Amino acid sequence: MSVARHDGRWFRREISAGGFAFFMNLPTMLCLALVLAYPVIYAGYLSVHRVGLAQLRRGEFPFNGFDNFERLFEDRLFWVALKNTFIFTFITVGAEVILAVLIALLINQSSIWTSRVTRFLILLPYAIPPIANGLIWSFIYSFQFGFLNRILFSAGVITEPINWAGNPETALYAVTVPYIWRTLPFAILLVHAALQGIPRELYEQAAVDGATAWQRFWRITLPLLRPIIAVILILRTSFAFAVFEEILAITQGGPGDATWVAAWYSYKVTFSPPNNFGMGSASAYVLALLIGAMALIYVRFVYRRVTL
Amino acid sequence: MFATSRTNRLLLHLANVVVIAFILLPLAAVVIGSIQSEKALQADTRRLMPLEFTLDNFIVIFSKGEQKGRIYEQATYLPDNIKSFYAAFANSTVVAISVTFLTLLFGSLSAYTIARQRFRWTIFLMQANIVARFVPAIVLMIPLYIVMRSLGQLNSLSGVIIAETGFLLPYAILILAPYFDSIPSELEDAARIDGCTRFGAFLRIVLPLSTPGLAACGVIMFIISWHELLIPLILNARPDFMTLPVVIASLVGDVHVFFNLMMAICLLALAPTVILVALLQKYVVQGLSVGAVKG
Repeated sequence: MSVARHDGRWFRREISAGGFAFFMNLPTMLCLALVLAYPVIYAGYLSVHRVGLAQLRRGEFPFNGFDNFERLFEDRLFWVALKNTFIFTFITVGAEVILAVLIALLINQSSIWTSRVTRFLILLPYAIPPIANGLIWSFIYSFQFGFLNRILFSAGVITEPINWAGNPETALYAVTVPYIWRTLPFAILLVHAALQGIPRELYEQAAVDGATAWQRFWRITLPLLRPIIAVILILRTSFAFAVFEEILAITQGGPGDATWVAAWYSYKVTFSPPNNFGMGSASAYVLALLIGAMALIYVRFVYRRVTL
Repeated sequence: MFATSRTNRLLLHLANVVVIAFILLPLAAVVIGSIQSEKALQADTRRLMPLEFTLDNFIVIFSKGEQKGRIYEQATYLPDNIKSFYAAFANSTVVAISVTFLTLLFGSLSAYTIARQRFRWTIFLMQANIVARFVPAIVLMIPLYIVMRSLGQLNSLSGVIIAETGFLLPYAILILAPYFDSIPSELEDAARIDGCTRFGAFLRIVLPLSTPGLAACGVIMFIISWHELLIPLILNARPDFMTLPVVIASLVGDVHVFFNLMMAICLLALAPTVILVALLQKYVVQGLSVGAVKG
């Protein structure tokens, strides 16, 4: 029974809880269907059809079974891209987890005034557009004019300029640093928040029992940080798999194929001649499946399920 | 938790200095790079600080290439995209504000019901949002490009706004739902007994109480949308509809553009979000941590 006065304004009329929830979620469901679900399904459709510029003009996409996937798996460059993506992800995620724990502990020292400065600055990289970050680092790495070589010359560390991003041996490692720089604040933030949740009494008790700082870290801090480290591992792994902007800005996949990564491969195959949309979709789907697996683990085991 | 002996304190200060230097290195590079001339940069390739500074890089951008200043006097070529800086800045602003507004609007409607009404399908919707957050943009872009092309929606701001709203909405819901959940439902119950409808209770009781949550979500949506490259890069190729990240990306392959000009435009593109983060740091921190682990 509704006790609302019915004065004709539509939001005054009472509806059932289910109907209310349905109407409130309608825009979201439309949006998700239109911009997420439909494209993901359509990408699957494209991946088993022949779609090039000619087909796009005619508007007919002939079915070609798993040809796109077969050609993809025969393409050496695709495997190079996957290998590079795995190396890139392994380095960036590994470094981020370790650095995030260390730096979060560092900014937690409120009695050290420089720690307060660091804490104030920690979010800065999050504010930098990824493509600008990439371009800035390509300036830093520049062989002739680069900032990094200038610093090392000034410090007297090197006598000859080093071609950081232009050398196939170092290029892939060189592009990990800007990515780590930009995405680290997020990881530090999460660890820092988790540290605030550890009761001080645990440390006081451990100190009474004569535990060293080292023991307290391994026996108390690290075990209690494990859930948040799992969150960081999964989120950062998923996003590092799809790295794009820094690659575009710093190396464009080069030198040679040294920094071709999965998203760059899909982009180049699709949007530069000969514009193979079918094969691009197939390669993007492989990437999506890898990331999808991470997402399922996240929902199932890591993100506290919707009991709110 | 560490013993605070003199050596320990010294080591901690040292560690902080290293971290601060690492954080500031790219910012130093972009600032120093943008206020010197190509000539100064090339004259001495080993010097850290240049001998002379100039604002000509900014002047040439702000005057759409008309006032060339001393350092661009002899330059016969300037990339067209530099000239469309104002248009790109305006486009970026329109897109970011629209996306922020739409994600907040749809997101709060949805997140509120997900937080309050526990139906099987709302729980499923929440899980779908979590999974959707992981979908990489490149997977969406290929089909979206084909769809927008056939609809004639390439090169329009509305196409980019729709695509980014759909892309960011799941994340907005992940940030907002925990906020609505943290508001005690007794207040709404009281309002409902006094004759308020469900929507009225949401509009008049819950929304005003969740302004910090809306602020946290809004600032993050604005930042991500301001930074988004792939969606506008693929959908908008015409200079009139480029956003700032697309203009920056277009300079990457241009061998005639020197680093100084690039750094100047990068600095202009990163300034708005840096200012935003500096002013609203508290909300950014809250939004980021809530969105990842649900408070």
